[in-house]
This record gives sequence, structure tokens and C-alpha cells, in this order.
Amino acid sequence: MEQLLLWPVFCPILAGIALLFKKEFKQRKTLLVFVGSILLVSGILAIYGIFAVEGGVTLFYLTKTLPVYFKLDMLGKFFTFVVVIVWILAGFFSFEYMKHEKNEKRYYAFYLIVFGVLIGLDFSGNLITMYLFYEFMTLTSMPLVLHNQSREAVMAALKYLFFSFAGAYMALFGVYFISRYGTTLEFTAGGVIEAGVLQQHSALFLTVTMCMLIGFGVKAGMFPLHAWLPAAHPVAPGPASAVLSGIIVKGGVLAVIRVVYQLIGVEFLRGSIVQTVWMALTLITVFMGSMLAFREPVLKKRLAYSTVSQLSYILFGLSVMQPQALTGSLLHVAAHAFIKTALFLGASAVIYRTGATRVEDLRGIGKGMPVTIWCYTIVSLGLIGIPPLSGFISKWYLATGALDSGMAVFSWLGPVTLLVSALLTAGYLLPVTMQGFFPGEGYDWKRFAGKEPSYLMLVPLLALAVLTILIGVLPNGLTEEFAAFAAQVM
Amino acid sequence: MEIIKNFPCLSILLCMFAAIISSALKGRGARWLNSFVIAAVSVLSFAVLYLTITTKESYVYVMGHFPAPFGNEIRFGSLEAGMALFFCVIMMLSLNGGRKKLLLEINPAKENLYYIMVDLLLSSLLALVYTNDLFTAYVFVEINTISACGLIMITERGHTIEAATRYMIMSLLGSGLFLIGICLLYDLTGHLLMSNIKAGIDAIVANGTYHTPLLVTIALIVVGLAIKSALFPFHAWLPNAYGYSTVSSAAILSSLVSKGYIFLLIKIIYRVIGFDTFRDSKIINVLFVFGLAGMIMGSLSAIRENDIRRMISFSSVAQIGYIYMGFGLGTAVGMVASVFHMLSHAATKSLLFVSGSGLTDVSGGHKEFLELTGSAYRNICAGLAFTVGSLSMVGIPVFSGFVSKLLFSQAAILNEHKVLPTLIALAISTILNTIYFMKTVIRIYTPAHGKYASASWKENPAYAVTLLLFIILNVVLGMCSQPITDWIAQGLSVFA
Amino acid sequence: MSAIYLFIVILIPCIGGALTAVIPWKKRIYMLIYLEFVVTLTSALVWMLLLNRPDGSFTLLNFAGNLKIAFQLDGLGCIFAGLISFLWPLAVLYSFEYMTKEKHEKVFFMFYTITYGVTLGIALADNFLTMYCFYEMLTLVTVPLVMHTLTREAVLASRKYLYYSIGGAAFAFIGMIFILVFGQTSDFALGGVLNPEAIVGHENIFLLIYVFSFFGFGVKAAICPLNSWLPQAGVAPTPVTALLHAVAVVKSGAFAIMRLTFYCFGVGFLKGTWAQYLLMAVVMFTVVYGCSMALKETHLKRRLAYSTISNLSYILFGVTIMTPLGLAAALSHMVFHAFMKIASFFCAGAIMHQTERHYIHQLDGFGRKMPKVFAVFTVSSLALMGVPGLCGFISKWNLASAALESEEVIAYVGVGALLVSALLTAMYMLTIVARAYFPSADFDYNTIKDVKDPNWLMLAPLFIFVAGMAVFGLHSAPFMEIVTAVAEGSF
Repeated sequence: MEQLLLWPVFCPILAGIALLFKKEFKQRKTLLVFVGSILLVSGILAIYGIFAVEGGVTLFYLTKTLPVYFKLDMLGKFFTFVVVIVWILAGFFSFEYMKHEKNEKRYYAFYLIVFGVLIGLDFSGNLITMYLFYEFMTLTSMPLVLHNQSREAVMAALKYLFFSFAGAYMALFGVYFISRYGTTLEFTAGGVIEAGVLQQHSALFLTVTMCMLIGFGVKAGMFPLHAWLPAAHPVAPGPASAVLSGIIVKGGVLAVIRVVYQLIGVEFLRGSIVQTVWMALTLITVFMGSMLAFREPVLKKRLAYSTVSQLSYILFGLSVMQPQALTGSLLHVAAHAFIKTALFLGASAVIYRTGATRVEDLRGIGKGMPVTIWCYTIVSLGLIGIPPLSGFISKWYLATGALDSGMAVFSWLGPVTLLVSALLTAGYLLPVTMQGFFPGEGYDWKRFAGKEPSYLMLVPLLALAVLTILIGVLPNGLTEEFAAFAAQVM
Repeated sequence: MEIIKNFPCLSILLCMFAAIISSALKGRGARWLNSFVIAAVSVLSFAVLYLTITTKESYVYVMGHFPAPFGNEIRFGSLEAGMALFFCVIMMLSLNGGRKKLLLEINPAKENLYYIMVDLLLSSLLALVYTNDLFTAYVFVEINTISACGLIMITERGHTIEAATRYMIMSLLGSGLFLIGICLLYDLTGHLLMSNIKAGIDAIVANGTYHTPLLVTIALIVVGLAIKSALFPFHAWLPNAYGYSTVSSAAILSSLVSKGYIFLLIKIIYRVIGFDTFRDSKIINVLFVFGLAGMIMGSLSAIRENDIRRMISFSSVAQIGYIYMGFGLGTAVGMVASVFHMLSHAATKSLLFVSGSGLTDVSGGHKEFLELTGSAYRNICAGLAFTVGSLSMVGIPVFSGFVSKLLFSQAAILNEHKVLPTLIALAISTILNTIYFMKTVIRIYTPAHGKYASASWKENPAYAVTLLLFIILNVVLGMCSQPITDWIAQGLSVFA
Repeated sequence: MSAIYLFIVILIPCIGGALTAVIPWKKRIYMLIYLEFVVTLTSALVWMLLLNRPDGSFTLLNFAGNLKIAFQLDGLGCIFAGLISFLWPLAVLYSFEYMTKEKHEKVFFMFYTITYGVTLGIALADNFLTMYCFYEMLTLVTVPLVMHTLTREAVLASRKYLYYSIGGAAFAFIGMIFILVFGQTSDFALGGVLNPEAIVGHENIFLLIYVFSFFGFGVKAAICPLNSWLPQAGVAPTPVTALLHAVAVVKSGAFAIMRLTFYCFGVGFLKGTWAQYLLMAVVMFTVVYGCSMALKETHLKRRLAYSTISNLSYILFGVTIMTPLGLAAALSHMVFHAFMKIASFFCAGAIMHQTERHYIHQLDGFGRKMPKVFAVFTVSSLALMGVPGLCGFISKWNLASAALESEEVIAYVGVGALLVSALLTAMYMLTIVARAYFPSADFDYNTIKDVKDPNWLMLAPLFIFVAGMAVFGLHSAPFMEIVTAVAEGSF
């Protein structure tokens, strides 16, 4: 039964590899059917795995002490769930969108491979397996970034690659130490290193943890190694930027949670210099990301900066190391995944139909693409944190968690920063809506008339908007799970 | 067996008579006579070697009927006999290797003159090796110098005459110092026979008197011989003398003449001054430093050289530095190493000179490296031999140079204060050797197209055979060093 | 098996190689069959020796006191001999195709085969002197290979190679003398042979000598100030660069350093001294330096050569940790790096052979035209970077765990250096891969219309290497067991 866990991981990977080596399909439809069915089958298998499988499975041993091991815990299940939903929706969106790009087959091949790798990342039962899939996530998602092969895209992809590897290797530095001093490499609530050992080598472990935080933080766009993100996300084809920004960055978040809560342990980190520095970094990122987004004219880039900022909301919640803040972070993972994907898909739909990339070109678009822009508006409001949408709930938890944490400065500085950033978020997201619906006088309404995209694009958008509302209205199931998880690790 | 004891004296006389007879002969006759004499002396020396090795003793042979302290004596042990044999072999090979070239370079009418000089040189070398009398030694040092000058200037070109004059001046300076040293020794001890002087010096040292005069005497003798054997910084005469003379002369000069003086010095150290006295004097440190400096500076000069012959000559300066460095270590093992290096260097350096001439011959007689490009393909034997010689000089295992390096290092380790400088100097010197020898080897193996004609070994089989014998000698010294070092150690032990 | 086979396996390629130049070949293919036979025979004998290890040693020649030429097969020798005997037949196969476009084949193959014997001599040497002799010989027999093209560049490169190598050996010589004089025995023994009484009071001299000889052998292993010969020697034909300057020659240097450290001076004496820290610092610097230079380089083979410099210092880093675990890690990287680097060099060679292109910026779009070669190149790049699942990750992991286990702070820094180097590796390798697979959007594939994969002689070795990388990467436990046993002296 445990072997079932391997299916959703390897089915899309193998399918993707096969697709890479296969000759071009005669009909585009065959390709789409193939990709769609693989996505669905793997998704269903993954969801089934979430509910049906209890134990873990060891695939093989890299060395005597390094098993590649899959096991699902609450965190893994939650992330898998988010990944599957978003990936399938964005996949269907691309069926339409990719019409106007070249090399479709390669795109889908890597899209499938990354899907499998992400599920593998979420299923990982120990540090080394996670690291393995983390590296592969970087490698296999690179072709998505440079898909159109313009010079800008290739440079951005290389930047993405090298930043990610820099981060991965910083993290690997920590992996070495954890495997040296830890009792096991499996994720264990409260950490795997004995308290005595931690105290004995406290300086060492603080350094190592900082390295790992910054290292995995690269993927999550944390200052100071965030510069790749605004370059890489916007150059990808629309749906790819959506999943890059919505899902792949969460890989970094997952890794950070694993390290802090399940390997090193919060007991050791709470109140240490690492926590302070980390928190400061996240807050800087939150503010900086919003500011940069605010003054960015190109919509996709603006959204990318917004990702930088929003990801650090999550990291900030994690750095507080308080149960409520942790709950808030996890909620924001889901919220941001759905919202940011929806935002990017919306922007892509606009580009696909009209070719407009800059915000000022979008005046009056609401009339031509009402459904798209409505979805955009709903999720924007969610990101800003307007009740009852999902962003509100997560931010609420984050803020109360921070206020409860009992830390001197950060307990109020954190919420204040979040609030300021929320205002900025409103400032950079809403102009699209406002100018879209209210372009001002003397505007030529015909410009965007009848540009509403096909259902293949609209359905994923609508689904994501609904999910955003659902999480906002009915968060209880999730928050209970998260609270249980928080209680377990703290 | 008794008759063998006459052989050393006989061989010296044989050479001298051959020289006298040669003056009446034509070139061809002198050449044959010379070859015969060298062969004969080789056989005689071999017999002596056999005797001394089987009996493990040394013998004193009284010349005429005047017993010591007035008479003249010859003394021989296994080391002397072996050296004599070795000198003959090298001389034979060197002459053979350069014979054809010699005929081209000298006036045919003067060919017999050349062989007179060679005969005289051999006799003086043998005398230096065998004699037990300091004054006889001095006399033969002078004969040696004069005949060597003859060998240098036999080609009668401007360069060689200048070189010979230079050599003469420096050499006479050396002999002069040596002579003063002998006089002082005579003053101090009242004897000229080595064994008697030794007894006198032992007495002086035991009394603790005449400390400074003794030091000065040792210094004079050592410096005198050092000048003659071209120890750095007294080497200024060497590059021209070796570089411009005909190839046989260069090979003989570098591998035999300087070695004769060095052997005399060893003899004086052991048999006149006494090894312990010598070791306790400060002179030894001076020799050590000069030796090291020679190793480095000689090689540096060689690197700067653009003429293959002069480069090989400068390499001699470095190699002589090795030998003196071995003296300077002040251990018996160091002496063994030095003596072994004398052999190894003699075998290698003459090989290099002879093969080098082969290479220049197929390059239109040019000695500049640029012209030598590709010459190893034009004269395969010479190229191969030059490579072997170079590898030996660099100290690659299997060849003789490696063993000397090994012996020097092992000797150095026993001297706690000198070990690091010695080893580092050895390493640096190896690198420098590599630079100039390997540069040449690569140069001669870099192809150049069609500028000069090639030479087959069939045109000059004697030359090819000579090179082959040299290579074999080199490899034998490198592979079977154990009996040779045993022999040297044994010979040195019966020296005192 | 009888110990005399130890000598026979050295002799076969030497004689077989020499005969290559003498025999008048009617057809080229006969020469291939003959060479492949000689090399495979040797390799088969070596593997038989590995499986039935002879007891004791074989003394060929005893030329003075404890100075002898003798052969034996211990654990360390097994690893090195096993490695080269696996690679050599494949490399000959490859070079046979490669050399179709070069001149003087016979001479090339003569020296190429002789080098095999000489390298085996290093692996099988029983004592320092024997190893030293073969070490010097290795320099000499490989010089003609570097010089092969006889261009001015090649001549300069071989000159430099010669100076560096022999100069290095001159310093290693000093170490040999000390071992010969102060060793209790002249044979190699794990744990060192130095007479402890001789050391007392002279520790610093001995350490200095150790440092000298480390640098001496380090020349071949291209440690930092002494590395410039290696990229230059890349002018040699690719089979030479790949097999000799990524495996046989350079690893002989590393191998000699292992012998020097673990089997002569002994880690008991060296560990925790200034010599260890100094060397570790130098090695760490080289690790980063090599990668940085590789990143700067635009010539494909030279870039790989700089990468070799860096990776060799990985091995030496393992050695300077001076624990059994460190040695095991070093050995594993020695083997793994051989596979990775020979594969990437062979790819570079295949490109040069097929297209005469040498520079990285000329490789736009090659991924589609030479799919097999570039698939191999990509895999080996990933392996070099240390992506999990391929062998590079395992050896890096081993090195890092050995460094951490030693609990020296400087070793921790070393781990950092390894990771920095890994990042730089990613940069210099993946830029090539990215360029080949993803040329700029307006790239015209017609300009490289005629480019295609080489034939099976070249491809077969490549695929075998890739298989090796994957097998070692995914299932390294049995191999690591052997290596650990070797390092602990129980193999």
C-alpha cells in the first residue's frame, strides 16, 4: 500500500521524460489529452495517497545511511493538496495560453516533470530526500523560465538557477551538520538533535541554521537573495509564471518549516540571534517587496515583486515561532498560492488576448474582459486582506500571533509592517481594477471589446477565486489542523 | 702476483714513452699507438684493480732504490686502480666519439701532436692518481696543465687560443697556490711523501701548535686545486675552454682533467691532512657554501646560454659544485657520494659533449638552439644519447645521476646542520637542470622541415657504438650502484 | 595468484605499446584489434589480481640496501589499479576513432599504451622508491603525448609540463630520502613507517619535509601555485587530456600524496600540526581558485582542465583531513571524479572531432544536433555539481561528513569551500548546457546543419561512464564499504 506514494511522484516525471524524447505529435489535441490525463491521474493518485496512506516507503539507499524515503505528515499533505489543485488548474489554463508559444511539447514535458518533483518534495519523509527533490525542482523548472529563449529569458533563467543553487548549497552546508549531529534525518516534531549537543555547539548550530534559512530562503525570495525572483518569474510563459510564483516558491517555505520546526527545533532557536536577524530580514523583505511592486509599471513584474513581499509574510509568521503565527503562515501559504496564481493567470489572459503588459495600457479593460477582471479584483482584495477573503484570515492569525509572542520590539513592529504593506498592496493591485472599470471620460470602449478569453482560461480563474473566498469563509477545518500541527512542534 | 705491483709505474711510463715516440710518427701512427696505449693501460689497471680488490689492501711501490723519506713512491689501492681504469675507458670513448670531427678540425700535419698531448695527459692523470709524493704530484699537475692547453688550442682558431690562454693563466695561478701550499707543508713537517707529512701533521695537531699556518696551508692547497677544477667562483675559464675546443678535448677536459685534480684533492685530504683535521677546519664550510653556490649559479648561467656546448660546459660548473658540496658535508658518506658523482658526471658529461657534437653536425655546424630544432630526427643516435645524458643529469631513476643525487641526500641527512640547505639546493638545482636540459631535449625533438640533411649511423659506426657504450656505462652506473659504492667506500677506507 | 603477475601486468602494456610502433600494420583496424587486445588483456589480468590478491610482494631488483624495486597489491593500490584498468580499454576504443583526424598515430598509441603500464606501476609499487621511479617515468612517457601535435603551443605546453613535473618530483625526492633514512622499513605500511625515536626533537624539520614532498607530488595533482601546466597541457589530443590529465597522471599525484601521508609519514604524526592546517588551507584555496578560473575560461577543454584542478583538490582535501574517513572520502572522489571528468572530456573531444570547435560560444544549439553527446555532457555536469542521485553528490557528502567528523574548525571552512566550488561548478557547467540546449530565439539551425553525433566507438564509452555515474550515485553502499575498509586497513 505504501508503494502508492511512488506513483504520483514518478508517473508525471516519467511521462514528462517520455514526452521529451518523443517526436512531435501530429495533432496538438493528442498532446493536450495526454498531458491533461497525466495531470489528472497523478493529481487523483496524489490526493488518494493523502487520504489513504499512513506509513512511509523507502525507495533505495544513496549511501548506507541516506535513504530516499517518502512519508506524508500533515504538512506534506497540505502542501500536496495545494500543489495538485493549482498545478491542474494552471495546466488547463496553459492548454489555451500555449497556443501562441513555440516548443509546446517541451513546455508540457517540463511542466509534468516539475509536477512530479513537487509532489516528491511534499512527500519527502527525510531531509535528504527533500534536498534531492529541492535540487531537481530548481533544475527542472529552469526550462519553464527560459521557455521563449529570448536573451532576457535565458539570462533570467541562469540567474534563477545560480541563485537557487547558491541557496541550495548553503542549505547543504546545514544538511551536512544535521546529518552529523542529528539522531535521525527523518522529520520529527521538535527537532532531531539532542538538546545537550545543541547547547554544546550552540554557536555552530546558530550559524548553520542561519545558513539554511538564508539558503532555503532564496527560493522564497527572502532578502538579501531575492534579486532573481522579479527577473525570472515574469519572463516565463503566463501559466508558468503563475505556478512559479504561486507554488514553486512555496518549496522554499516548506523547507524552512521542516528545518526550523522539525529538524533544529524551536526551543533552541527561540530568543536567539538567529530569530531576531531572520525576523528583521523578513520584515525588510515585506516592506521592500511592496515598495518595489508599487513603483513597477509592468504588471507581471509588479506581481513578482508582490510575491517577494507576500512570501515574507509567511516567513515572518514562521520566524515568530508561536502557534498562532504558524497557523497564519500555513493559511497564507494556501491563500497566497491560490491568489497569486489567479493574479498571474489573469495577467496572462490579458496578455494573451490583448498583448498589453503595462498597467497604464489596461485602462478600460474591465469592460472587455469582465469575468477575468472580476476574478482579478476578488483575489486582489483577498491579498490585501479584506474580510471575509482568505488573506484576511491568514493576516489576522499572523498579527495576533506576533502580538502574543511577547517579543519586545517585533511584537508590534511586525504587525505594523504588515499593515503598511497591506496598504501598499492595495495601492499596487487595485489600480488595474479601478482603471479597468473606470477609465475616465472620453475613453474608446471598443478597444478591448469582446476580448474575454475562452472557458479553458476562465474556469481555472473562477475556480481559484472561489477557493480564495472559500478559505476565507470556512477556514476552521484548516486552522484546526494547523493548530494541532503547531501544538505538536512547539 | 708480484708482477702486478709494477703495473702502475709501468702504465705511467708507457704513456710517457708513447708520447715521445709519437713525436716521430705521422698522425695515423700516433693515433694507433695512442689507442694501443690506452687499451694497454686499461688492461694493466684492470689487473691492478683485480689484485687490490681481492686482497683488499693497498700497496706502496718504491721508485728507484731510495727508501722513504728521500725516495719517490707510488701507492695504489682499489680506488686508485679503479679510477685509472675508469679514466682510460672514458678517454677511449671520448676520443673515439670525436675522432672524425677531430680530423676535420685540425691541421692533418699536427695530428700526431694531438696524440702526444693526449698521451701526456693520460700519463699525468695516472701519476696524479697513483703518486704518493706531493712534489711529484705538483710536477704532473704542471704537465697536465700544459697538455690540456695543447688540447684546447689544437684547432688553432681565435676562440680556442684565447680560451687556452685564459685557462693557462688561471691554471698557473692555481698551481702557484698549490706549490706554495706544498712549500709550507714542507716547512711544517720537513717531508714531501704523503705518509710522512701525515705523521707530521698528526703530531702538530696533537701538540696544538701551528694552528694558523696549517689552516693557511690547507686553504692554499684546496683553493689551488679548486681553481684548477673550476669550482664556482673560479670557473671563469671553463665555458670557453670547453665550449670552443674540439669535441674530444672538451669531453676529456670536462670528465677527466678536472676530475684528476679533484681526485688529488681527495687524496690530499685523506692521506696528507687527515680527514678529521680537514673536517674540523673551517675550510670545509667554505667548500660547502661554494659548492651550493656553484650548483645554483652554474645552472642559472647554463639557462641563459644560447650555445649548446657552452650550456653543457656551464652544467659542469654546477656538477663540480655537487662534488665540492659532498666534500663540504664532512662525512665519509659524503665523500663516497662525491667520488661516485665524479664517475657519474664523467660518464654523463662526455656523453653529452659527444652526442652534442653529433647534433650540431647535422645542423650545419651551428651550436645555437634555434638551429638545432629537430636535429634529433636527423641524427637519431645522437638525439637518443643526448636525451639519456640529459635525463641522467636531471636525476631520473635508472640513470647514474639519480644515484648520485640519492647518495648526496643520504649523506646530507647525517649532517644535522647542513641537511636542509643541501636538500633544498638539490631540489632547486634539479629544477634548473630540468629547465635547460629538457628545454634542449624538447627543442631537438621539435620537427623542423628540410633545412639540413640527416646523418645515418651507418656513416660513422664508431660514433654510434661509442654513444651506445656511453649509454650502457650510464645505465650500469645507475642500476648497479651498490658494488660501485661498496668499492668506493672500501677504497677510501684503505686510503688513510 | 602469484606475485610475479604484478610485474607482468606492468610489462605487457609497456612491451605491447613499444611493439605498436615497430610492427608494419597492413590495415588500421588490425592495429585497433591488437591494441584493444593488449589493453584488455592487461585489464583482465589486473582484475583477476584484484579478485585473487597475491600475498607478499615481488622484488624485481635490489639495487642497494633497502633500495629495491618491488611490487605488491594492497587496498589503496587495488582502488587505483581497478580504476585505471577499467577506464583504459574504453579510452583506447574512443581514441581510435578520435585519432583518425590526427597524425603519427603509431607513436601516439605506443606512448598511450606504455603509459598504462607505468601508471599501473605507480599503483602497484611496494615502496617509495619504486613509486618514485614510476612517477618520474610517467612524466617522461606522457611528454610525447602532450607534444603530439608538435605545434608551437604544444611544445611550450610540454616544456612547462616537464619542468613542473620534474621540479615537483625533485621536492618529493627529499621526502623519499627522509623515509628511506628514518623509516623503520622502506615498504608502505598504513599508519606510517617513520621511526618515532628519530622524530623526537626534530618535529618541525619532518613536517617541513612533509610539506615539501606534498607540494612536490602536488604538482601533478595541480595544487594552487603549481597548477598552470594543466590547462596548458590541454593542447594534447583529447584522449590524453581526458584519460591522463583528468585521471591517470593527475590522480597519480593524488595517489602519491595518499601514500606519502597515510603510508609513510603517518597521520598519527601529522594530524593536528601546522603542516596539516597549512596544506588544508592551500587545498581549500585551490578548490575555489580552480572553479573561479574555470568560470573565466572560454575554451572548452581548458575550462574542464580548471575544473579538474578544483576537483583534484577535493581529493586532497579528503587526504588532509587525515582520518580514515577522510581517506575513504578522498578515494571515493578519486574514482567518481574519474568517471565524471573523463565523460565530460570525451564529450568535448567528440565535439572537437566532429566539428573542430573549441570555444564555448561556438556551441549554440548543439544540444539538438548532438543529442547523445550532450545528454552525457549534461549528466556529467550535474554529477560534477553534486546533484543528488549522481555520484558527485556521494563523494561530496563523504568529504563533508569526514570533515565534520574531524571536528576541526578549518575543516568546517573547507566544507564551505566545497559548497562555494559546487556553486561555481554549476555556473561554469550549466552555462554550457544552457547554451547548447537553449540558443537564443533567433538562432539559425542551418548554420550547424552538418553537426551530428559521432559513431559508436566514441559513444559506447560515454554511455558506460554515464551508467557508472548513475550506479555509483544511486547505490554507492557496496563501493563505500570497500573504500572504508581500505582506509581502515582491513581490505
